Amino acid sequence: MKENEQRLLDAIADMKEDEALALAKAMLDGGENPLRVLELCRNAMETVGKRFQDGEYFLPELILAGEMLENIGLMAKPLIQKGGAAAAKKHGRVLIGTVHGDLHDIGKNIVTFMLDINGYEVKDIGIDVPVERFLEEIRAFQPSVVGLSGFLTLAFESMKETIEAIARAGMRDKMKIMIGGGQVDETVCKYTGADAFGNNAMAAVTLCRGWIEA
Amino acid sequence: MISVIGDRINPGFKATRALVEGSDLAGLQALAAKQVEAGAVALDFTLGPRGKSDPAFLADAIRAVQNAVDAPLCFDYPDLAVQRACLEAYDPRRTPIINSLAETRWEMTELLKIRPCRTMVMASERLEGGAGRPNRSAGEIASTGKRCALRLMRENGLAAGDIIVDVSVSALAADTGGLNRAALEAIGRLGSDPELKGIHISGGLTNIGQQLPPKAADGSDLKRQLERAFVTVAVPLGFDTVLGTPWHSFEPLSEDNPVLVQFRHILTLSGTDVMRAVRKLYRPA
Repeated sequence: MKENEQRLLDAIADMKEDEALALAKAMLDGGENPLRVLELCRNAMETVGKRFQDGEYFLPELILAGEMLENIGLMAKPLIQKGGAAAAKKHGRVLIGTVHGDLHDIGKNIVTFMLDINGYEVKDIGIDVPVERFLEEIRAFQPSVVGLSGFLTLAFESMKETIEAIARAGMRDKMKIMIGGGQVDETVCKYTGADAFGNNAMAAVTLCRGWIEA
Repeated sequence: MISVIGDRINPGFKATRALVEGSDLAGLQALAAKQVEAGAVALDFTLGPRGKSDPAFLADAIRAVQNAVDAPLCFDYPDLAVQRACLEAYDPRRTPIINSLAETRWEMTELLKIRPCRTMVMASERLEGGAGRPNRSAGEIASTGKRCALRLMRENGLAAGDIIVDVSVSALAADTGGLNRAALEAIGRLGSDPELKGIHISGGLTNIGQQLPPKAADGSDLKRQLERAFVTVAVPLGFDTVLGTPWHSFEPLSEDNPVLVQFRHILTLSGTDVMRAVRKLYRPA
């Protein structure tokens, strides 16, 4: 790895935002392959994610690193289009929404953001999503993973109903389903019939990696 | 003086989850007693999904806890059927709290016909054009809280003192949208509204430190300090009831406390600047 590449990787991983953006700009202005720059950013996000899982970093670092990646992506995008290079291939499709009866979306939005910057094609269908809408969106989007979000205890029932409806529609075997929100745990996961649960945005990314890239 | 509604009878806490999964009624009684001994004036009560799937255990647990403590129970299910089961199991001589009513679940006011109840009403969501919408601004939160409180008084005959408006306290680590600032401004509006004199204003404080490390940059307990920072700002505005852990201190912090100083600064920020300022709470400069 070239010295400037290592510096970019370190700057992102160490939360040196100004330095990271300046380095990325200099590399892109100097003719570096924009896809290579984005690859370095994703490698840096791997380090950030590991530090988060190790308890060294917390949600603010995840969000700030994600923002750096997003900003560098904006710089790189016109160069990729101009050069005719193919955009980086997405890892897979994830459909996400807050189940019916629940209007909370902060956690869902963070999960959507983290999945997006980690290379997944994410479709966020909003809050208070009725079961039938989930079914329609699944048929149209054909996701590998469906994420059901909910903060209130009533969301557990809605998650269960949604998953049962997916099964009745004959689509349950075609996807993995993860749930997340304020109080989800193993018991709720089992109750709803989901495949797994997550209590933070990185957990969702880890689950998707395990399922889609395995 | 701030009142505390104890929040520990909730399987969101691992120790409580073990009690619920093990049908440990004596354990739930001990947890209830511990909270009351620590100063709780009421006890929030939810068994999670088991409350819905196992109504017999729900009733047993309610009776066990009410036998252990005099403090009223605050039934925490936004679900009409489960609330009905809770009210039917609860001692008819006591006045429970229904948690939580919302403009989007107004059918829950039917419960007030079963027996006299106090109510906790969520001001964080509103009904607009027949659909639920999350409230993001102080104006939306305050107007929803006021509308609900006035309806409860005028249509359901509740006394102001029987209404607790929950403004919702958000996790600071995710608050790029300024929801805590909005909640505090809403507390000020509700607290100074002469039509709402006598109502209580509340929020669950356990959320505020979620997804943050245990220690602040100065080595103090960051989550507890943030709870106290919120209370320090909120109480002068009219906030008088905490949904929280009774053995945590909710005493105000001194004005030069570094967590309070930074919390006040964070309240002035928006977007990812909030994240940068939050990091300073736990990253030494």
